[in-house]
Amino acid sequence: MTWHVPRELWERFASGALDGPGQAAVEAHLVECSDCQRQASRFVGGSERLWTAVHTEISHPRPRWPLRWAHYLGLDDADTVILAACDNLRLPWAVAIGGALASVSVAANLGRFQDLGFMLMSPLIPLLAVLAAFDATDILRELAAATPLSRLRIGLLRTLATLLVALPALSCLAALVPGLHALTWVWLLPSLGLTAGALVGLRWLRTWQVAAVIAGGWTVAVLAIDATGQLGHVGGGSGQAIFAAFAVGTGIWYWTSSRSTAQAGVTR
Amino acid sequence: MIATLTDAAKSYGRTCALRPTTLHLDTGVIGLLGPNGAGKTTMLRMLATVLAPTSGRITVAGYDVTGAYGERVEARRRIGYLPQEVVFPRGMTAAGFLDYIAVLKEWRNTASRHDEVQRVLALVDLADRSTTKVRALSGGQRRRLAIAQALIGSPSLLILDEPTTGLDPEQRMGLRNILSKQPGAVLISTHQTEDVAALCDRVIVLDDGAVRFDGTVADLLATADGLVHQGAEATVGAIQTWRTGTGLIRSVGGEAAAGIERVTPTVEDAYLLLRQQS
Repeated sequence: MTWHVPRELWERFASGALDGPGQAAVEAHLVECSDCQRQASRFVGGSERLWTAVHTEISHPRPRWPLRWAHYLGLDDADTVILAACDNLRLPWAVAIGGALASVSVAANLGRFQDLGFMLMSPLIPLLAVLAAFDATDILRELAAATPLSRLRIGLLRTLATLLVALPALSCLAALVPGLHALTWVWLLPSLGLTAGALVGLRWLRTWQVAAVIAGGWTVAVLAIDATGQLGHVGGGSGQAIFAAFAVGTGIWYWTSSRSTAQAGVTR
Repeated sequence: MIATLTDAAKSYGRTCALRPTTLHLDTGVIGLLGPNGAGKTTMLRMLATVLAPTSGRITVAGYDVTGAYGERVEARRRIGYLPQEVVFPRGMTAAGFLDYIAVLKEWRNTASRHDEVQRVLALVDLADRSTTKVRALSGGQRRRLAIAQALIGSPSLLILDEPTTGLDPEQRMGLRNILSKQPGAVLISTHQTEDVAALCDRVIVLDDGAVRFDGTVADLLATADGLVHQGAEATVGAIQTWRTGTGLIRSVGGEAAAGIERVTPTVEDAYLLLRQQS
């Protein structure tokens, strides 16, 4: 060999600063030159470092496509991990879309009970989808309670990621149901209130327990309103104001409860 | 002082789980012994900020965990906690699980978080299982994975509730080695008295929600000095007797007859005597 890779070239090779032909030239030289092969580990690092890097890469595979897109759109990597822990959002989104389809299908076929059926089911769909987002990690609540990351942040992140699919899906599908025009948007505010209430409930109860309690309570409430003949008026100003106050109230309750001393699961 | 409990107590309705307790925890490994229902887990959960005390005050690294939200968050940044039972989420790999917990511990930088995950996996000898689904791990491996999450970030207060459950002797030795190198205070609740003898600088014995003993292992052993015997017969009035592998009968407490030799007590002997006294 008439020449050997100089120090400056090694450093550029190791840092990845060389262009393609330059990198190929160094690699071609390395195949032939035993002196430079010995030098390589000094600059590039031994195989142990390389394998550690490979192992780290394999251990942390890329998230699935929706989260990759969210990451490209600016979602922080740590937040991606939080969402990936929710079954990569597959279950929550499946509940959201499946629930929306079921809700509007049932409503479309209920005849004169259409309004009642739709109001019974539709506000619960986003709520159930949000609870599905918490279900996968629900069993870690004791462990998570001792960690510093804000519960509010985790809750809002998961809720937002779920509602981004649940609300448009239900809204679009509801708009397609004939004769439902008056109630197409009425479910939205109660749904937000129920969802915030569910997030509060997660402090004490398991996800399925929260779902059962809230779904049961909502069913009783809607049947009671219907019995008084007022269901047709819930879309009016006063009805919506009550639902708005309910949503804001449960939202504030959630915010304060997420900062309280007692954390999720402690009362059991 | 890494952590303090000042008259900290916990009640569930009329049931008192932990009576007003004052303790100061400093650097070193501290063993927490006591029968089931003694209040060990309650004390650990309160220190881990998972459970709020009914009364009293708890501080970790100077931050009042019973006070404002911000103080509690600061305390949590310094705590590693292993609950008695950890159930793992479906579908997660070992590294994925630790990555998630690291995020909850505010490791937001991806590269350093991944390095930390690899570090703790290697510490518990699970580096080659990083891509394995948790459901495919053995019971001992899952326990080690649960321990690994508590070690993330080398916390100044490490709280471990029965960490050696499900570990074989070799793994227990490995865990002792890891814990002995931890930088801050390590508080271990255990039923394995030999772990306490081998590892702990200090022993706290809880019974019926109150501290019955607080001192060094040597101090605990001294309480049983001259009270443990071994011979062909049991001592009169012994609180516990059993036939050993050599065929001789070991007696804890009681009056020794002629021909029965005194033997050096173990932590278990001392613990049994203490329990009897309390």
